[in-house]
Amino acid sequence: MHNIRLARPEDLMGMQAANLENLPENYLMKFWMYHATTWPQLSFVAEDEKGGIVGYVLAKIDEGDSKEVHGHVNSISVLRSHRRLGLAKKLMLLSQEAMATIYKAQYVSLHVRKSNKAAIALYRDTLGFEVADIEKKYYGDGEDALKMRLNLENMPESQS
Amino acid sequence: MAAKRALTPKEANLFKDLLTLYETRQLKKGLKTADQILKKFPEHGETLCMKGLILTHMGQRDEGIDLVKKGMRLDLTSHIVWHVFGLIQKGEKNYEEALKSYTQALRFDKDNINILRDAAQLQTQLRLYDSLVETRYTLLKLRPTLRQHWVALAVAYYLNGNLDQAKNVMEKYESILKNIPDYDVEHSETLLFHVRVLEALEEHSQALSLLDTNAKERAIVDKTAIMEYRARLLSASSSTTGEAQEGEGEASAAWHTLIDHNSENIDYYYGYLASLGLHPTLSPSYDSTKALETLQTLSTALPRASFPRRLALTLAPSPSSEDTNGTFHTLAKPYILTALQKGIPSLFVDLKSLYTDQGKMEAIQGIVEDVLRSFDSEDTSNAEIDRDPSMYIWTLYFLAQHYSYLASHPTLPQPSSPPYIPSSSSSSTPPNPSPYPTQSHSLHLISLAISHTPTLPDLHLLQSKILKRAGDPYGAATAVNRARELDGQDRFLNGKTGNALMRAGLVKEASGAPGEVGSGSGGGGGQQGKGGVLGVFTKKDAASPASDLEDMQSLSYLLEEADAQRRTAPSNLGLALKRYLAVQKIFTEIQDDQYDFHGYCLRKFTINVYLNLLTWEDSLLLHPAYLKSAISASQIFVYLHDGTLFPSFGILGGAGKDRGGSGSKGGKGGKGGKGGAGEMTDAEKKAKKKAKKAAAAQKEKAKEREKEEGKKAPQAANEDKGLEPPAPKDDDPDGTKLLVCEDPLERAAKLLAPVVKLLLSKKDKTSKGKNASQKRMKGYGEIEFWVTVYDVAVRRKKFLQAIQALTQAHTLDPEHPEVHLRLIHASKTVSSFSSSSPPSETITSTFSSQLSNLLPSTISPETHNSQYLQKHSKNARAILASAKALEMLGSSTKEEVETVVFGMLGSGAGAEGVHVDVETALEGLGYLYSLASDEKAEEFRVKCDERFVSSTVFKSEQEQGKLRDAVREEVTRLPGEEKEKGDGEVSG
Repeated sequence: MHNIRLARPEDLMGMQAANLENLPENYLMKFWMYHATTWPQLSFVAEDEKGGIVGYVLAKIDEGDSKEVHGHVNSISVLRSHRRLGLAKKLMLLSQEAMATIYKAQYVSLHVRKSNKAAIALYRDTLGFEVADIEKKYYGDGEDALKMRLNLENMPESQS
Repeated sequence: MAAKRALTPKEANLFKDLLTLYETRQLKKGLKTADQILKKFPEHGETLCMKGLILTHMGQRDEGIDLVKKGMRLDLTSHIVWHVFGLIQKGEKNYEEALKSYTQALRFDKDNINILRDAAQLQTQLRLYDSLVETRYTLLKLRPTLRQHWVALAVAYYLNGNLDQAKNVMEKYESILKNIPDYDVEHSETLLFHVRVLEALEEHSQALSLLDTNAKERAIVDKTAIMEYRARLLSASSSTTGEAQEGEGEASAAWHTLIDHNSENIDYYYGYLASLGLHPTLSPSYDSTKALETLQTLSTALPRASFPRRLALTLAPSPSSEDTNGTFHTLAKPYILTALQKGIPSLFVDLKSLYTDQGKMEAIQGIVEDVLRSFDSEDTSNAEIDRDPSMYIWTLYFLAQHYSYLASHPTLPQPSSPPYIPSSSSSSTPPNPSPYPTQSHSLHLISLAISHTPTLPDLHLLQSKILKRAGDPYGAATAVNRARELDGQDRFLNGKTGNALMRAGLVKEASGAPGEVGSGSGGGGGQQGKGGVLGVFTKKDAASPASDLEDMQSLSYLLEEADAQRRTAPSNLGLALKRYLAVQKIFTEIQDDQYDFHGYCLRKFTINVYLNLLTWEDSLLLHPAYLKSAISASQIFVYLHDGTLFPSFGILGGAGKDRGGSGSKGGKGGKGGKGGAGEMTDAEKKAKKKAKKAAAAQKEKAKEREKEEGKKAPQAANEDKGLEPPAPKDDDPDGTKLLVCEDPLERAAKLLAPVVKLLLSKKDKTSKGKNASQKRMKGYGEIEFWVTVYDVAVRRKKFLQAIQALTQAHTLDPEHPEVHLRLIHASKTVSSFSSSSPPSETITSTFSSQLSNLLPSTISPETHNSQYLQKHSKNARAILASAKALEMLGSSTKEEVETVVFGMLGSGAGAEGVHVDVETALEGLGYLYSLASDEKAEEFRVKCDERFVSSTVFKSEQEQGKLRDAVREEVTRLPGEEKEKGDGEVSG
């Protein structure tokens, strides 16, 4: 049984743990707290029956210099033991919808490792992202990132 | 006084500049300006303080703080000097003292907005909500035009429990608010806070109308929040007005909208069912047929939603064993087949909570075994099953988990039919037929899967897990390392490998941290170098993977390493303590982290999440990782105090004779109960002396280092280093000094105290707080916590605290083995009161009378113990506890105690069918060693080795050393040396 819902402060340690378990880009608790308290409607978690966090999406709004308000996905991951359930897709859709309806975000962006074929397929084929740019040596280990983007302006109101 | 503060006009202007320069952090210029003033007025206290403050920011901390103190003495009635001092104390995280300084500052300048704001943050951090209300009120009076001040006052009232005042403030605020920009997220959050206040006041209709009005005007922009509040409020108001709940009312419609929005949210489904009177536990007229129909309708409408299908399995009535056409079967079969076809790895984890129901468990087993049978028999008649080879793998994968889980949970209902073992012509021989599932069954199935598809990492990962359960940490490490090699990009597999290596005693190979099981053959090296396997995904510039993981606040790594250090050798206990305390430190950091948000969230108007943040922080220390580290560290401190080990959780867990090779083979013993310290063996005394010497040598070195560093003090760097003192140098990286600390019990008490306070206040407030349901780590729950509190308190002679803790543990489970042991200990303690320096009369009588509530004083502890043993003759852990109690009571011979321990293996009369797992058997073995019953221990070890067929932890020291070396070789060999990958043979 999996439950997908808005992330709450008491989830942050579970999210941090899932991030450390899955990805090489890790953040201190204060960073997670900052995102949760600045854009409290944008981050979501998937939990198992016992309340353990098995997946999360951490997102924010960038007002940046382009004057275009847009969302950005900082980090998303689902534990290997909970793959193939479509959790990542559901987490992304909920976050995207909140970006569009609450903050009027025009698009959402994210970075992904050039070599991460599974993730790229999810963003491009399932969610409709496009490659906007390649950022050379974006990652700590020297790997390039694809900067991907999805237009949010014609998003349907609700989806599941 | 004032005369001393007065400056000439020129200097007065300079002082104003100085304040501005500090505010804008132009430190160098600020310093110059301060010096200019001091040239003419060297005794000017405020300037001295400002200079000190600036120096502190610039990293010249000692000099800076000296100046601040000097300045204060010269002008004790200046609000500036107190403010500066408060800032310094706040930087040191000394919130209480900082608040005192701010209060002083306010005595001399009561309307200073900056000081009031800082004071409010400190009051929030310290949860002094009465004074927070006062401060927020003063701020609002001073600047009523600031929106933030209104909301901040309402929040303070809310926190202080004055909901009516919070509501009044919000109403007043909204009535005077002008020019709200359209579509404003901040305003939206503020209105939602107002709704929240009304909800807390149970003014549901008022809350609803506020919500609806502002939703319509699009003043509240968070649609999900609107829907959730609506659904909750409608449900609450219909249940309080007692309206009939027939059919789809407004509340049901609201919940349904939410389900359409997010069809995987459990709360929405339960809310919907409750609104229809169909909640399985809350609705008085619950009807499972109707509930299942409702879920069926939802499933049809939302074909991609998985939750309603899964919930139906929980709500379906328990099937009888013969009935394969019943509701549960009809629902479970397609659910399981689809998941097996898709190859969903979490299917078993998803279903296992149903296993408390024997009928459901057997139905699930039947369905999956049928699938396997159809592959096995080449039987193509079963058209329902698409005979996809990947489905074959996932079916084996499921059944391997299924049997392993049942084998390791003997108290769950077990299947009435023996496990199905495919007759396939595999290289691996099927295990002996056994009526009950065993780890061997499970290992057989997973090895079939692996030989079919050796390249799937998940299979090796599961094999590793089963081997671990079966008591083979070396095989487990090798298996998971194979998974890792199949997908080197996956940190998840990498981390699991690190954990398995540490469990096999190979800490250095895992993370580069020191502390290793002594081994004859050469150490690590090879592929991972100093880094260890985990280093593939940690920062390359970190001192070691271990230190990066600590810096990144990885609680699970720290706990895993700590446990490994504790297991490997007594000489590594210092390292174990260091890691447990590092976990504690992370929790302190997280408590400190919230400080900035007291100001930030109010400026940003993200009030609702902020209130949740405070609630979370309030019970932060009930987190399972904190509990585990506090309990474990306290156990070690108790051990250090006693010089021997209290008969407890088997601190050194390992198979027996000091696997580390250093120190003594004693020291794990159960002699603490005999009333305190003084039973150290010579070897232990020697070890302790050695540790003391090493600690002293380290101290010297640290001093020298300090001196050297003092010489090259930073020279007027302009960069702002903030007010937080830099982390002090760790002059005890291996915990050597900790092992010889003078006050181990006081340290333990300090770790436990905040949790004691939290748990007792939780009980007062009954069922408040969501954290209560948190998943606990096995063996480190509330009972173990209270038992540890008892152990520490009774040694500190805090008898009232001790009996209180024991009572708490007893309430949770009076029959728990650890509780039983403490009851016996307490009754011994009572009998010792008269003889050895007695505490006060009232204390002894309270202790005795409260104990007699738990353990009737009419029965002797000896009788009680033997009754306990009889009552729990099938429970290995209880048998072990009763053996330890027997020893503690002191009236039995060693042989009698040993005989009881052997009862764990079912050899004693009438003890057939004792439930014993590897872990408990290991503890029994460790206990025998601690009794210095080497021969008996050896006999016990050999028996265990025979009994736990797939285990290696009961092999001899030498054999285990070889196994460990083999694992080490496996993980450290160079990529070029890789042998052919993934031949799926089980090595265990």
